[in-house]
Order: sequence, then C-alpha cells, then structure tokens
Amino acid sequence: MDGLVTTAIIGLSLGVEYALLSLGFTLIFGILGVINFAHGGFYMIGGYAAYAAVHFAGMPFPAAVATAMLVTALLGYVCELLLIDRYVSDHLTPMMITLGLYLIISTALIVVFGPEPADFSFPIRGSLRSGGIYITYANLIVLLVCATVIAAVYLLMYRTDFGLALRAMADNREVATALGMRPAQYFPLAFGLATGLAGLTGALVTPTLTLSPFLGDSILGMSFLIVILGGLGSLGGAVIASFIVGIVEAYSRVYLGGSKGALALFVVVLIILVVRPNGLMGRIGRPA
Amino acid sequence: MTGMKFSQTCDRDRRVGGYGLHVAAAIVALAAASGAAQAQECQVKLGAMGPMSGGAAAWGLALRQGVEFVAAQANADGGVQVGDRKCRVSVMSYDSKYSAEGAASAANSMASDNIKLIIGPVGSPEATGAKPVAQRNGQITFNSSYAKDAIGPETPLAFHQLAGPAQWAPKIVAAAKQKFGIKSVVVVAPNDQGGTDVASVNAKAYEADGIRTKQEYYQRGTTNFAPLVTRIMNENPDAVDTASSPPADGATMVKQLLEAGYGGVFGRLGGPGTLEIIKAAGGVKELKNFYWLELVPTEDEKIVALQKDFKTVMKADAPNNTLLYTAAAAARMVLKAVTAAGTADDAPAVAKALHNLEPVDPYLGKGTWKGKAAFGIQQELVFPVGLGLIVDGKSLGVTAVDLADSK
Repeated sequence: MDGLVTTAIIGLSLGVEYALLSLGFTLIFGILGVINFAHGGFYMIGGYAAYAAVHFAGMPFPAAVATAMLVTALLGYVCELLLIDRYVSDHLTPMMITLGLYLIISTALIVVFGPEPADFSFPIRGSLRSGGIYITYANLIVLLVCATVIAAVYLLMYRTDFGLALRAMADNREVATALGMRPAQYFPLAFGLATGLAGLTGALVTPTLTLSPFLGDSILGMSFLIVILGGLGSLGGAVIASFIVGIVEAYSRVYLGGSKGALALFVVVLIILVVRPNGLMGRIGRPA
Repeated sequence: MTGMKFSQTCDRDRRVGGYGLHVAAAIVALAAASGAAQAQECQVKLGAMGPMSGGAAAWGLALRQGVEFVAAQANADGGVQVGDRKCRVSVMSYDSKYSAEGAASAANSMASDNIKLIIGPVGSPEATGAKPVAQRNGQITFNSSYAKDAIGPETPLAFHQLAGPAQWAPKIVAAAKQKFGIKSVVVVAPNDQGGTDVASVNAKAYEADGIRTKQEYYQRGTTNFAPLVTRIMNENPDAVDTASSPPADGATMVKQLLEAGYGGVFGRLGGPGTLEIIKAAGGVKELKNFYWLELVPTEDEKIVALQKDFKTVMKADAPNNTLLYTAAAAARMVLKAVTAAGTADDAPAVAKALHNLEPVDPYLGKGTWKGKAAFGIQQELVFPVGLGLIVDGKSLGVTAVDLADSK
C-alpha cells in the first residue's frame, strides 16, 4: 500500500512539473501557431540562470528562481521580436529559427559552463515521511510552486483582458486584429510568458535532478508528447495530459521497470490518440 | 707602429672571428631550417575521435586532450623518428557524437585527410560504427568502448585502449564484497548497448561471487529517476551499482536514492563519473559507503606527475576525466609503433609493430596485451586500474589494482 501511495505522489510531482513545462509550449503554439523547438533550451537557460545567480551573484535560491524566470521571459520576448515575429505567419520558418536557436543555446551553454553537470542542488534536503510513504521537501516545494503558477496562468488567461486578447488572437487572428488587438504587441509578450514558464520550471526542477547542457532534447520530447496528447494549443488539455503522463509514467516504471514502463507510456498515449486523434481537448484544425 | 699592427691584427682577428661566427650561425640556421622543413614535410597525423558534443562530451574532450598532450610532448622533443627522419606530430579531432553513424562518418573524414592512426572512438555505438569503416579504410583505431565486441578477430586494425569489464569487474567486486559484506546488489544502466554490455558483465561478476543480483535498465534520456528509485527501494539491496550510466544519470540516481532514505552501499563499475556522484550526494560524508573503478590509479605519484607535465606542456589544467590517461598511453604506444615500423602511413605495419611492443608507459607503468579470452584477439592494452573506496563517510583513497593475472 505504501508503495502505491508513494508512486501516486511521484506521479503527481511529475505531472505538475510536466504541466508547467507544457503550458508554455502549448501557449506558443495556440497563440502564435509556432512549434517552439527551443523550448528545452529555455528550460536549460532557466536552470543555468538560477545556478549563476546562486553561485556567482550569491543570491538566495528563491530570488535566483525569480531572476531566472525574468531572464528567460526577457530573452523569449527579444527572440520573438527580433527573430520570429516577421515570419510568424509562415509556420515552417519559425520552426527552423527555433531549431537553430536551440542549437545555439545548447552550444553556448557548453562553452560557458562546460559539458559536465553543474554543481547545483536544492537548498533544502530531507523528506517528509509517514511509514513507508515519503516525499522530499524539494519535491513538495516544487509541487506547491508549480501548482500555484499553473493557477496563476489560468487566472491570467481566463480572468484578465490580457488573457482574453491572447485567446482571441489564438481563436481568430484576423478578427482580433480587426478589433484593434495588435499581434506585434501581444505575440512577444505571449512568447516571453511561455519561455518564462519554461525557465521557471528549469530553475525549480534542475536542482532536484541534474543541470547539464544536454537536457533540452528530452524536455522538448516530453513537452511534445504532452501537448499532442492534450490537443495542440489547449491549455486545459495540456494540464490534464501532464497528469495522465505523470501518473502512467510513475506506475508503469515502478511496477514494470524502466524499459517496459517507457513502452507502456507510449502505448497508452497511442491508444488515446487513436480514440481521439486531435488529443484530449484539441480542436479539428487550427484557424490562425 | 707595433701597437698599430697589433690593433690591425686584432681588428682582423675580430673580423675573422665575426665572419666565422656569422658562417657558423648561418650553417646552424640552415641546418635548423632544413630540419624544420624536413619535419614539416614529414608529418605523423594522429586522429582523435570521440563525442565532443552532447552528454558524453566530457569523455571525448578528455581523450582529445590526452592525444594532444602526447603530440605536444613528442614535438617538444623534436618530433617522432620515422625511418631516418624526425617527423612532427599533428592531431586532428573529429566529433563522432556518441553514435555509430557519427563515428563511421568521422572515420571516412579522417581517411580523406589521410589519417591512418586514430585514438578513439569512445562509446559502444561509436565503436560499432567505426570498426568496419576504419578496417576498410586501412586505419588503426584505439577505442575505449566497454562493448562485448569492442574489438575482434574480424577487425584486426581495431585495438582497445583500456581494460574492459571482463578484466576488472571480478577483482573490484571481490574487493567490494570483502570490504562491505555485500549480499545483494542492483545493477542499473541505460537499456542500450552502452549500458547493457557493461551491466551484464558486472552482474555476472557479482553472481560469480555469490551475490544476489538484479539488473535494472532505463531509457537513455531519462531525467527523473524517482520511479526507478522506488523500484530499487522495494528491492532493498545491500548495494546499488550505477555501472556505465552517464555521469549525470548516476549522480541524479544517487541523489534521489539518498533522499528516498536508501542507506546501503553505492558502487560504480563503469565509465568515469565519480566526482559527479560525490557532489550530487552532498559530499563524502553523506555518501557514506562507495566503491568505484578508476581507469587508472589516480593517486599514484606517476599519475600526479602527468597532471603536472600536462600543465607545463599544455598551459592548462588536466581534465578530471581519466580517459585522458588511457588515450595518452594509447597515443604514445602508437607513436612508438610508428618508429618501430618506420612508417605512419601503413596501418597494418604499425599494427604489427604494436603487437611486438611491450606495453610500457612513463606514467601508467608496465602493462600487458590482453583480450584473447574476452574478444578473441590479443589487442587490449591493459594497465593497472584503481579501486576507490569511501567507508563510513571517510575517503580511503584510490589503490592500484594490477590486472596482469586477469583473463
């Protein structure tokens, strides 16, 4: 029984981390129509920015995480403004640009910080235990922060004029523009918000696991899997898919092992996509 | 007058002396120029092949630095004797990206640059890709893969630059069992050739020593090992061996195992990655009990001497990764074989010379050629390895393990 509960906690922790990560990815696709191949790169930048803030600037960890989020958000904003914005209507070019951006980011991180994992640990160690059930303090904090930020993103998107404008832009860019909303103003902000979320996840999660300049591929792969499962561009779908993936991953890997567990996850995703080809909450086609 | 004559004689003598000096200097300069020209004409090209980017980059970069160090030392001594000429050693490195196709492509690129002597590749997928291509191109390779087929009779130009698991696993396992009284172990590695080839040999060594053994594999690219850690905790083994997991994976696993409350022994019988594990654990005290393989006895005074020499020659600190040493030893052996064979272009002749050379390295000491039992070909360059121990939160250092009597 203890094992079942501990596995559920692991699944929830994975789910909430994946949700925060994939929200940014799906936001960019939903609003700009751009598949951001540099998403894993911004996750790594978040991790390294927090690492640099702690180790070189001597910042306390919470301030370092906030700084990392701001840095990645700002970088995302500038990248969209300078590199992506003029090609945003052409789906292929931004894809190539973000792919190139990812290669630049990962190579630059190797040059600056070296190929070996950085010595970056969560400031709090230890676990909360009850019998055989446990959750590390680090995971608990990450879980709470991620859940809070997901709620904040929900409020931003569904309870503010800014969110309304972004959703209108995602729904029908031409009509939204005709109503006076300016893509040139909102797109960099949306991109910055998404990369900021990736950076925040990187800053929070990498100290609990590892921080190296080679994490981007697996992060991008997982984000892709989740947003396809949830339905490209759907925020709610991404969150639900994140928890499904987290829970399935945890139980299958604990009870079937690393290899068969990974296979089980992909089989479950495949079955869901066969039943719902557009994902859990995806729309048929994307108008913008 | 006499004084004048004396003065003229002195002037003339000085002039003659001056001319003599100029002529001598000119001869020396000409000789040096001719020697330099000859050394420039005559060049021994060494290839350094390994992952220079990606997750395994630390290994490839260390290998390259090892080869560059040997080349720089040889050039500082006036070059390498090839027949009646002294030749300058140059190093060209290629990123084989820890993949079979990357290594095959690197071997072909080196062939187009007329490089017949390659130190590397590093990983098992790379060795698989490079071996047949290099054999066809007539290139010697000196890989450091732990694959079960890292070398073999079908590719006689492929050499192995270090002792494989079959050589060191039985000795390290026996020492660990004696020190920690291990009765059960879980061996963890990625579920590809790079992981399974080492983990399965380690597992065999544990089982042969009467230790109950379980193998756990995970998908390469996994970043969160919490599910695997829970699985291991359910097994409650005396020891967890991270085998050939990449350094970052091994470190994350150890960190998460400690957080989960694991209180047993950690082992690492695979590629370098000890420092990452100690750092991730929070230090030697937190790690408590740990045994690991070092490719070389890192605390030996000759190894320390190499680090100093590296700094002097390369004007930089030696990398932490121990592939530096084995790559340097392999490069040194290849240069000796070039001198013995009198050619740097005829790889089969250099390979033949290598067979006849006694493996002796100024830093690694006396080695042996092995491999017949494990690979069917006696082309494995084996020097003593190191056994590192942390017991009850105290580092006992790294002791040399002689493999001369291993299979």
